[in-house]
Amino acid sequence: MYLFNLDKLSGQQSMLFFHLLARMGIESLVLVSPKTPLASIGYFQNAEEEVDLEFCKKANIPLMRRELGGGATYLDENQIFHQVIIRRDNPMFSRKISENYKRFSLAVIQTYKKFGIETGFRPINDILTKKGRKIDGEGSGDIGDCFVWVGGILLDFNYEAMSRVLKVPEEKFRDKIYKSMKENLTTMKKELGEIPPREDIKSVLIEKFEKIFGKLKPAELTPRMIKLMENLEKEFTSPAFLFKKTPKILTGVKIREGIEIIYGMHKAKGGLIRAAQEVEKERINEISLSGDFTLYPKDRLEGLEKNLKGKIRKKSLLNSKIEEFYNKERVQTPGVNSEDFLKAMKVEK
Amino acid sequence: MAKVEDYNMPDELYYHKEHMWAKVEGDKVKVGLNDFSQKLAGEISYIEMPEEGDEVKQDDAVGSYETGKWLGKLYTPVSGEILSMNEDAEDDPTLVNEDPYGEGWIFEIKMSDSTELDNLMKGEKAIEWLKGEITKHVKEKK
Repeated sequence: MYLFNLDKLSGQQSMLFFHLLARMGIESLVLVSPKTPLASIGYFQNAEEEVDLEFCKKANIPLMRRELGGGATYLDENQIFHQVIIRRDNPMFSRKISENYKRFSLAVIQTYKKFGIETGFRPINDILTKKGRKIDGEGSGDIGDCFVWVGGILLDFNYEAMSRVLKVPEEKFRDKIYKSMKENLTTMKKELGEIPPREDIKSVLIEKFEKIFGKLKPAELTPRMIKLMENLEKEFTSPAFLFKKTPKILTGVKIREGIEIIYGMHKAKGGLIRAAQEVEKERINEISLSGDFTLYPKDRLEGLEKNLKGKIRKKSLLNSKIEEFYNKERVQTPGVNSEDFLKAMKVEK
Repeated sequence: MAKVEDYNMPDELYYHKEHMWAKVEGDKVKVGLNDFSQKLAGEISYIEMPEEGDEVKQDDAVGSYETGKWLGKLYTPVSGEILSMNEDAEDDPTLVNEDPYGEGWIFEIKMSDSTELDNLMKGEKAIEWLKGEITKHVKEKK
């Protein structure tokens, strides 16, 4: 198995390279960072629904669809990608996909530990600190005859850029995503107060991955590989591939395992209601309501949000909280009742 | 129906090494994902099927599916022309998990060369192969 200990490649190439190696059937560990920022979407995501394409264009952030699962991400030089490419006939590969995540994550967990950050694997695909903050997210897929597993060590993170890259049903929800990520996503800089030297982190990563895969053979990018990668880039950046329609519908954003932003929309008789909630184990941490329905007095919507915050997403409980709000605040919402709010919030039971 | 440990394996079907099954009826072949593969991969969230009229070759990757942040590929066990896809499974991919050999079938193909069936496994041979796969992917990894 080869080791490509690369420095930085252009945003797209930092992702294209593992696709190339997998198609060529070259088993490797690649360590690389993107020189320039990049937005990446999972194979089944619709670019137009998941990413703010106008912002990306203005900010000169290219978009790439990867041949892996998972959601939209913002990638930049403050991440060290660890990309494992193994053939599916390699005994290290398991068709029990969760096993691969568990086994390969160990190298990343031990690397963080070496720098004083205690972490653990949280199925399906996250590495979390002891305080439950995400510090590495992973994705995988079959490409050619290989299984590919990728993730990234977070040295630092541009929360603002990430929240800008994502498309949101309404601008007021963007701030919720930003705050939720800031709270639930951590980095080496946040945990340690500083970023350890990049080369030190990579050395430890190599040492820990070698415990899993055995001694890795150092290899370098060849001119042929660069040429092939350029051809691949044409395929991956073609509008037909980038903007292909997929069956995935935008329903929210997973911040980390256990915490997600859920978007919902409901057309009531009195107008459209939109809802965005940060939900943790069925409890509403944060909620934003908006839409074009009428509410008298106008400034009371915040009171309803306050009434729902911290509550479990149970229909009977939330219904009573909405009724309580109506009675206490003496508000009127012509053509909109508590059931309509629950539909927008996607509360069914 | 044969059952190899926890995994169903209908006797009348052919099996491809990438864990697809093939039900042959004349020159028409119905294709799906086998029970072992769907159980190990977990709940399928999305599925992308080949398109009607596509000409495909045996062993080609003709579609994809996603389970738990993993993108898997669908392979065709024989060459031919895609006749139809299971739109119900496309709308609700969990059908593949719930009923992999029935309502969770994936596509149907008009087989162009029936001698290719010799490259697939059936009966005892398929059972022995699956036992090996269980050892490789489940038991040794425990």
